[in-house]
Amino acid sequence: MSENANIILRTDSLCKYYGAGDNLVKAVDCIDLTIKQGEFVSIVGKSGSGKSTLLHMLGALDNPTSGTVWLDGENISSFKENRLSQIRRRKIGFIFQSYNLIPSLNVWENIVLPLGLDNKELDEPFIRDIVRTLGLENKVKNLPNTLSGGQQQRCAIARAIAAKPSIILADEPTGNLDTKTGDEVMALLKTSAKKYGQTLVVITHNEEIAQMADRTVMIADGKVVG
Amino acid sequence: MKMIFHLALSKLHYHKSRTLLTGIAIMLTTMLLTAIGTSAIAMLDMNRQLAVAQTNYHAAFGLTEPEQLSILSKHINVESLATMENFAQIINGKMNGYLRYYDTVKDGIYFSNLELTEGHFPEKENEICSVPSFFERVGADPIVGGKVTLSFRAGGKGEVQTKEFTISGLLTDVEISADISDSRIAWGAYVSKALLTQYEEAGLYESLPSAYLRVYGEDTLSYDEIEAKIISTATDVGLDEEHVSCNNQYLYTMTAPDTDAISIVVVISLVVILFSALVIYSIYYVGVITDIQEIGKLKALGASRRQIARLFFCQGGIVCAFAIPLGLLIGYFLPWFLFPQVIRILNASALDSTRMDHLKSLRNQLHMFSLPFLLAVIASVLITVWVSLLKPIRMAKKVSPVEAIRYQENTTDCKSRRGHLTVKVSTLTWANLARNKRRTLVTMLTMGLSSVLFICVAAVMNSCRVEDLARRNIQEGEFRISLNYAHNDKEYPENNLDALVQQNYFSEEFLAQLSSIEGVESVTRAPGNILASTDEESAFFEDVQDRLPISYFTREDIPELNEQLVSGEIDYDRMTANNEILCTHKYSFDAYGLALGDVFPLILHDGDREIPLTVTLTAVSQPESYTTLIIMTKDSWDNLGLTYDATTDIYVHVKEANYDDVKKTLQDIVAENEHFELYSLDEEMAIGRSGLSLIKYPIYLILVLIAVIGFMNLINTMITSIITRKKELGILQALGLSNQQLVRMLSAEGMVFTTGTLLISTTLGHLFGYLFFLYAKKMHFMSLTGYHFPIWETVILALVLLGGQSAITLFIRKKVEKESLIERIRGQE
Repeated sequence: MSENANIILRTDSLCKYYGAGDNLVKAVDCIDLTIKQGEFVSIVGKSGSGKSTLLHMLGALDNPTSGTVWLDGENISSFKENRLSQIRRRKIGFIFQSYNLIPSLNVWENIVLPLGLDNKELDEPFIRDIVRTLGLENKVKNLPNTLSGGQQQRCAIARAIAAKPSIILADEPTGNLDTKTGDEVMALLKTSAKKYGQTLVVITHNEEIAQMADRTVMIADGKVVG
Repeated sequence: MKMIFHLALSKLHYHKSRTLLTGIAIMLTTMLLTAIGTSAIAMLDMNRQLAVAQTNYHAAFGLTEPEQLSILSKHINVESLATMENFAQIINGKMNGYLRYYDTVKDGIYFSNLELTEGHFPEKENEICSVPSFFERVGADPIVGGKVTLSFRAGGKGEVQTKEFTISGLLTDVEISADISDSRIAWGAYVSKALLTQYEEAGLYESLPSAYLRVYGEDTLSYDEIEAKIISTATDVGLDEEHVSCNNQYLYTMTAPDTDAISIVVVISLVVILFSALVIYSIYYVGVITDIQEIGKLKALGASRRQIARLFFCQGGIVCAFAIPLGLLIGYFLPWFLFPQVIRILNASALDSTRMDHLKSLRNQLHMFSLPFLLAVIASVLITVWVSLLKPIRMAKKVSPVEAIRYQENTTDCKSRRGHLTVKVSTLTWANLARNKRRTLVTMLTMGLSSVLFICVAAVMNSCRVEDLARRNIQEGEFRISLNYAHNDKEYPENNLDALVQQNYFSEEFLAQLSSIEGVESVTRAPGNILASTDEESAFFEDVQDRLPISYFTREDIPELNEQLVSGEIDYDRMTANNEILCTHKYSFDAYGLALGDVFPLILHDGDREIPLTVTLTAVSQPESYTTLIIMTKDSWDNLGLTYDATTDIYVHVKEANYDDVKKTLQDIVAENEHFELYSLDEEMAIGRSGLSLIKYPIYLILVLIAVIGFMNLINTMITSIITRKKELGILQALGLSNQQLVRMLSAEGMVFTTGTLLISTTLGHLFGYLFFLYAKKMHFMSLTGYHFPIWETVILALVLLGGQSAITLFIRKKVEKESLIERIRGQE
């Protein structure tokens, strides 16, 4: 019972198929996955193995062909678009490979954006603390295009943590960064998640990063292989 | 090259929506240009055919000696020659008519209103021919061989003669609206040479016709050359220029294309090209921005700058190859179908239907096709597309492969932003607009510009009020009863104003009688008129039979007089003290060589009394309202101490419900007095309306064109703003932006454009509209008088902008949402 209560994310026979007949592509094929509160899970696999598709479904960005995703005890696969956007801004923090900051907003505004969209009261000391933790104190007024890749990704991490989501999903967060910066960013991501007690799911094909995780899930041809 | 062509083709296919938008923009541009030009060609051709259809003489000479006619008939320059003379004035109630004699000396002159439908032209002294409606008006049966008795004064003077005529022929009839009174139409009936000779022999008439002639060389000579030829012919027969009146309408039409029409077409076309270029440019500009990564990849693969440029030109060329022919086709056939409709509308509102009868038969023979013009349209559109492509191509050429991969959309030079502590949907809206300051401003300005144009034209059109035109003849109330007086009729002096005032037609009793009619609210007097003569030699007085009516103005009139002041200064008290007068007609002032400071020793004819008064001309103004050529102050007028009431016009104010009944009663009252003339508001409005409709429809067409172009700009702006941010909007949705929030954000952005545009159009539009109105008024365009704020046009503009913007936002959002969130976050277009 207590084990169940700790489960933050669970999938049941999750499938995502594209095309039909001879062209049928099983991007995700019957995946059952359980992630506990506060856990750091890395999902590894080759290019085209279906790991990104899996992440998108976990993050309520994409609908499964069949199967269910349970987030915080709720079956989000049955939710309508409006409820999904609410879930995304309250319970999920995203980190993309290409940072995907909003170019017209400065660093601070990018960080507090999910809170603003949810009309939530701003916990300013908390945000300031995140900014400090990620070393962005001097950059809060900067526009994203004036930042280096590492700085942009740190800003994206801050944005993902700011709304105190239940789970942070990161899709190749170091993919666009050099090794040194990548390691630095990954370390920050891990410490931040730990510090604020958040669950972290990271997609990567970087072995080193995978080894930083509490648990590693291997995916090949849409299936969990280890 | 083949590779580039294939690449261009596949790019066009890939970016379907952009290709469609460019295609529509190019097609619309071609269509508008072709339609405007084709309409103008058709209009010119119609004017040409109309000019030919009415009459084809080049000039009319007012002969001074009978011998001049025979010299003219043998003159080497003269191709054809005809004569026309007004033999007698018809006396029949208020009918304004003449007995005329027409004769062809040398074949070739044509008058459309002299075409016989049956019978022949008068030969015997008692024969007459005219249009059937003329005979009906004088109470005779319009049949050949029928009898009609007419009273007339030969030469417009002498004794009134009464004679019975036999109708020898009928001319093509003119349909006149039944509402128009006789006095407002000029009638003509034709008599024989035999009758003229009879009167000449009896010494009652002296024949001195006008000669209508054509000179050789219409096809080869310019307007100036023909005019010079006409003048030299006149000089040869001993006539100076003032006796020559050129048929300018015909000559202009035949020798030189209508330069006014052409310049209007050129201006409209330039506006169309300017707006289209802007729209096409911004579509390609956006295209480059979204394509930068792809261009970078092409460059990385070894594409040269020239090849990149060629790729763009190739894309433009392929779209043009489809859009231009389609635009030409629609643009050509639109006027082809609409022109007869416009003619029908014109026909319905025309007073004189003979002109329009010609139009009906012209419909299928109008010459609208002009290959050089269509080629010019193609060239203009191609150049427009080429120019619009230059800047985007220059941008594309500069893209380096490395830059392309790193490239982020819509980057600005700004390094930081002050920003807000919290972020709301409105923050996103403003941040986006501020990031694209230049685009936001350019869009608002271009949309604002087209709206300003719209409001400007609407302001002038809205100020062209039929009622204003009618009010020039009836300044107050609904009816005007006017005393029809002569200035100085020697034969019938009882018709002169000084004699008429002694009859006191507008007595208090008469006014009381009018007031007692059911439905009449009040009867008011217009400022009176008094005849003035001078002993001094003055052409000014000679042309009005030596007697000039004078009226007065009050202190209340000074603002209007000052507004229209041409020269001099209006100081009421000084003018009263020094007996100073004001001339109300600039043209007469110039034509008669008057000058400020001119002194006139006048004799004012107050009934049988003569009042000497020396006046000085000290100001010239041109008020719109009906008034005499010379006016004095009311105080000067009162100082004259007139014995008789000088009222010549009264206004009748009636309740709307009783209008028709009162009109009938007034018509009966007016019919009893041959000196009375009735002007009624509905007739004056009908006359005004027919004049207005000629100008109204083409101008409204231009308004619609401006609106279409403005709308194209709006569509482009909205598409640009949403499509280019597809990815960004996707990220926002991934971060939790709900659909409602997205709609709110996009609508708010659109609202900023709409509000900005409306702000520009209501402020600048009305400012320029008013200036444009003042200019049009100064140029006496459609006799504008008062400025009427185009409130409805503004409301319609606002509704169209709001509705259009919402519809487009909705449409594009639906289109964007067809793609999954993942595709949007990842992808380009």
